[in-house]
Amino acid sequence: MEGSDSVEQGGSDQPESQRRRQLDRLDREEAFYQFVNNLSDEDYRLMRDNNLLGTPGEVTEDELLHRLQQIKDGPEQQNNTPRTESAEEPGEQPESSEDPAGGDSLLDWLNTVRRTGNTTRTGHRGNQSWRAVSQTNPNSGDFRFSLEISVNRNLAEQQGAAEGEQESPEGQAAAAAAAAAAAAAAAAAAAALADANPNPNPNPNPEPQVPMETEVVEEPVVEELAVIVEPEPELEEVVSQEILPEPPSSPAVLPVQPTLPPSPRRGQRRPRSRSPEPRRTRARTARSRSPLNLDQLEDLPNPRHAPSSQGPSSDTNAPPVPPVEGSSRTRQHVLSRQSTADSDAQQSRAGAESVPEAQNVRPQEGETAGGEGGAAGRRPPTIMLDLQVRRVRPGEYRQRDSIASRTRSRSQNSNNTFLYESERGGFRRTFSRSERAGVRTYVSTIRIPIRRISDAGLGEATSMALQSMIRQIMTGFGELGYLMDSDSDSSDSNRGASTPADLTETLNNPDATTAPTPAAEVEEPPVAAGVRARTVETDMDEGLATAPPASGGRARPRPPISLEEPSSLPFLRLAHFFLLNDDDEDQPQGLTKEQIDNLSMRNFGESDALKTCSVCITEYAEGNKLRKLPCSHEYHVHCIDRWLSENSTCPICRRAVLVSANRESVV
Amino acid sequence: MQRASRLKRELQMLSTEPPPGITCWQTEERIDDLRAQIVGGTGTPYEGGLFSLEIMVPERYPFEPPKIRFLTPIYHPNIDNSGRICHDALKLPPKGAWKPSLNISTVLTSIQLLMAEPNPDDPLMADISSEFKYNKQLFMQTAKKWTEEHAVQKNTGVTESNKENTPDQKASSRKREALHTQQEEEEPTKKNCV
Repeated sequence: MEGSDSVEQGGSDQPESQRRRQLDRLDREEAFYQFVNNLSDEDYRLMRDNNLLGTPGEVTEDELLHRLQQIKDGPEQQNNTPRTESAEEPGEQPESSEDPAGGDSLLDWLNTVRRTGNTTRTGHRGNQSWRAVSQTNPNSGDFRFSLEISVNRNLAEQQGAAEGEQESPEGQAAAAAAAAAAAAAAAAAAAALADANPNPNPNPNPEPQVPMETEVVEEPVVEELAVIVEPEPELEEVVSQEILPEPPSSPAVLPVQPTLPPSPRRGQRRPRSRSPEPRRTRARTARSRSPLNLDQLEDLPNPRHAPSSQGPSSDTNAPPVPPVEGSSRTRQHVLSRQSTADSDAQQSRAGAESVPEAQNVRPQEGETAGGEGGAAGRRPPTIMLDLQVRRVRPGEYRQRDSIASRTRSRSQNSNNTFLYESERGGFRRTFSRSERAGVRTYVSTIRIPIRRISDAGLGEATSMALQSMIRQIMTGFGELGYLMDSDSDSSDSNRGASTPADLTETLNNPDATTAPTPAAEVEEPPVAAGVRARTVETDMDEGLATAPPASGGRARPRPPISLEEPSSLPFLRLAHFFLLNDDDEDQPQGLTKEQIDNLSMRNFGESDALKTCSVCITEYAEGNKLRKLPCSHEYHVHCIDRWLSENSTCPICRRAVLVSANRESVV
Repeated sequence: MQRASRLKRELQMLSTEPPPGITCWQTEERIDDLRAQIVGGTGTPYEGGLFSLEIMVPERYPFEPPKIRFLTPIYHPNIDNSGRICHDALKLPPKGAWKPSLNISTVLTSIQLLMAEPNPDDPLMADISSEFKYNKQLFMQTAKKWTEEHAVQKNTGVTESNKENTPDQKASSRKREALHTQQEEEEPTKKNCV
């Protein structure tokens, strides 16, 4: 059936305008095929993956071309922007906010990240240094993006504040030595921070966060399949570092950090988390620990530098020692923690080793140099944002220690952990907050049914909802607002406290501050910590003063605020998990983009026998790009790709496209 | 838009070379709401009847199957009181067998086949199914009776115009409601076809 014939026929008994419209459409269809034919494989994938192709006849060729250029330019810009943003974020949140404005750009950026695989970017801006790490696992499709921002304040102020704060939380460490002076300095620093923070927080947070959020949102959608590969070298290191601080599990740790109730909780949580899912738990535990560790580390870090070599053995022996020397104490904590956590402990040890490195890194930041007892206090506040997209396979997450289960267990065990769950519009959100050693970790997990994402992705209403959710989450205020909303639904008193308006207050009052993040998974924060652990440590020093929310842009401004209360040492780690839920059995399982791209493609030639694409029922035209499945059936690439993104069988013969996916059962 | 262009072609095909015993047309100006009629096959208890179906084409068609249901009451193991059809081609994999290379025409043809060859092993109406299996004579009787009551009457007017159908449809839907109430007690055990 030639489209033209049908159109004309249809037009014959239809108004002239309609007929014209159909003719236009026909032209566009023609142009569409030509456009697709002329696309390079790379460009085609780019457009397909971004849902820019639409369907034949939907848009004009010019529009397609425009889209292509946009997406091509976008990725770079976006790439730059996110990075630049990250760089800027620390310094200028507003800018970051601007970035977010380009929501679509985020998608581009995400795509770029995917392509590039693992990337790490670092930058400095004024007092702030940022580090963005994106990791993509091509096999699993997991995607993870983390952004760390550390703010270095004047060394003197930082040191003073950090020491004072750190000391207060841990109560001993280096703080003791410098206590008086440090306290004064800390107070001053805190005040300074407070001054600086209040303003930045309100404004910057929302905006900067937004960009981040948008990115995040897009990621999940785009990467439907993406799973976060938690533990990577960096993470491990982080973990180890984190572990050190985590000592809470061991009694010794507790003594060290008497002021930090969270530590014990962490210990409890950790064990639980570990049991459920070895991988995740590790990473998560590490993460969770990291926050604590971070705090501790802040105090300890300095000591570590010096004692790092010495500390381990001796420290292990005398975890409580804290009072003696910050460095030794920290080490001790680490050791004790390590011992407590088996695998974690090992990691922690490694982390301990890494810690020195981290310390070294810190110096770069400026404060790290102070690695020794004095340095610990100097550590700048760090804001860590960790986004992970992972695909949850049916039953997988339930059987394993699902995040949810972990969170539950944690909440039960630890008084400091709060779990909040809400379900709206098909999205299940969980928010958890944990506090240890003055570090608060907020983990939010959002479960997104894959179906919703799989299709048009962002275009769908659900995706819109998702986007808005993500934005809310990303934005500190948004988070608060989100929490508030969720609170209204679920009534979480704790969270209620953490409403946006309260955020500033919470920042000031570490205890009160619980960054409400929708579905939170405690574990996640640790992950972020892992990557950022190093930075975190440095941050920790400052962190005491600063309570930066996970959201990078926001966190930055806020940290200062938190600093106001040295004793509280509010560290906010926000980790967001996006789980693409495969739970639905009904859900057809499609191929990954990689798998689809591995299928052969060719151009239709006139010599070929006349054939019609059975998906669109359109005859192939010369130059049409066809994809040939293993069963020899061919289709327009844009037709079959869409089907295969949700299904794994040939539309004609139903044979499994992937050998591994052999499912003859599919009748 | 893919749906629109494809549907246009499909309607074209349906009008030029419709499958035997099947007619399908667009309702008014809506492209996603079609009507079809299937002539009861000879040798089946539905012989002499004309069965109307409603076809809703989802936005994502052809990546999702069309939603088809009987408007005319029919006594059949795989079709429930509200006209829903238990047919694998109408469901997405992995449970179903829909694929984009199918189309309205082929699906209607397969429904026509289903009418002639009920699948009692995948029943939607357990009672009818067991009757079909173990008391076929009774099943044939009942099915014929239903055909005469609901499908044959229309026959005269239906082919001529849709408008004449409406009264019939209303009447039949009333009957269907009556049937509903009658059989509601048995409902729970009936639906095995998911």
